[in-house]
Amino acid sequence: MEKKNLVNEFSKGLFQNNPAFVQALGMCPTLATTTSAKNGLGMGLATLSVLVLSNIVISAIRKLVPEKIRIPVYIIIIAGFVTMIDMVMHGFTYELWKTLGIFIPLIVVNCIILGRAEAFASKNGIFPSILDGLGMGIGFTLALTLLGSIRELFGAGTVFGITVWGDAFNVFIMILPAGAFLTMGLLSGLFNWIGISRAEREKQRAKLAKQQAKAGESA
Amino acid sequence: MGSYFKTGLVLMAFSIVVGLMLSVVYLVTSDPIASAELDAKLKAIKTVLTDPQSGKLLISEDKIPQDMEQLNQIAWKDSGEADLFHAQKTQSFVSSPAYRFTLEDGRTAYILSGGAPGYGGNVVIMASFVQSPSGYGLFQVETLDYSGETPGLGANISLEKSRERFAQIPYSGLQAGVRVDRDAGVNPTKDPATRADARKNGVVIISDIMTGATITPRAVANTIDTMFAYLQAQLEGE
Repeated sequence: MEKKNLVNEFSKGLFQNNPAFVQALGMCPTLATTTSAKNGLGMGLATLSVLVLSNIVISAIRKLVPEKIRIPVYIIIIAGFVTMIDMVMHGFTYELWKTLGIFIPLIVVNCIILGRAEAFASKNGIFPSILDGLGMGIGFTLALTLLGSIRELFGAGTVFGITVWGDAFNVFIMILPAGAFLTMGLLSGLFNWIGISRAEREKQRAKLAKQQAKAGESA
Repeated sequence: MGSYFKTGLVLMAFSIVVGLMLSVVYLVTSDPIASAELDAKLKAIKTVLTDPQSGKLLISEDKIPQDMEQLNQIAWKDSGEADLFHAQKTQSFVSSPAYRFTLEDGRTAYILSGGAPGYGGNVVIMASFVQSPSGYGLFQVETLDYSGETPGLGANISLEKSRERFAQIPYSGLQAGVRVDRDAGVNPTKDPATRADARKNGVVIISDIMTGATITPRAVANTIDTMFAYLQAQLEGE
């Protein structure tokens, strides 16, 4: 695979195809766990770990798995990694594990993981699959952290527990489920607007280049 | 038929491999998990035996258990996995085991854990009850699990300023029944002396710092009530 393509495999998940804001995948943890920046970051990192590990294994065994049972096999692998991450977090990051609670086991049914396994890792080599998992995982982590930071800032006046304006200005709805939908909607709109603006700029640039080439030919 | 058998075998092989990997991770993490659970419990015990005002421990540091063996030695009531007591009305419970300490000045302190349904699951606390001339009073409270509560709202129950509001409820207040200011029809106040007076009647003034989240402090109040009822019943039986 060309170097440019490899870079693209990694970078597409960060912005252009951001799993949360553009593809609207994994909405359950995105909306439910982003009540604070720390929770968003923790959930994002746990998902990133599972995504990269499952992409590696699914890519490595893609030729061994019969077509008919590929989905159950992927689920077994993903569930195995999620359980491992759950046990590791329980032992080594006890406070975060307690805070994220049920949402760690629920990574099994996060459609980003199965989606990338089915759409990418099962059709590509190990290295591109690692880059795909990393890109999508980091994109998801950044999205959750951004969402959590905004909600925590406006809801509690803090970011990562550090006081910004404290109790001086709190909008309670931001840390309630309605606040998650509002913030998510606004950020999705912003990401889509940036994506559309960028596409239009590129279209205009191509049109201009075509006109200049035509003018050069006629001269 | 042959293809079904083959796919079944492949699926079984993957399940066995993943199962084996999980058992290896379990072996590696089982000790750190047990250690993390024990550390959290010991930290909570130390917190509920610390005076919230002076920050001094009620017992010398070396009397606080350091491992599971020492912790088991101070167990007062132990029913294994089952809870010690359930209150049907509030669905609150007292968990096993309960601990007993003898303080520096010879008084007895009981440490109980328990919980009640909050906004998104059980709010679990640990509380210390210390002997006084009139009877046992609540000394200090520590939150053990509030993962179902909304951060910034109900989850503020874990903050020191919230826990302080429940601390030092005298015997008279426990006997009257612990309830939050909103349920008791009492207006919130910032004056510490007025808040202490309210605690003598079992009223915990907390709505000024936990606005819009009455369910969570109510769960803590219900748990304290249940713990006190259990403690009274057990001490009368002894």
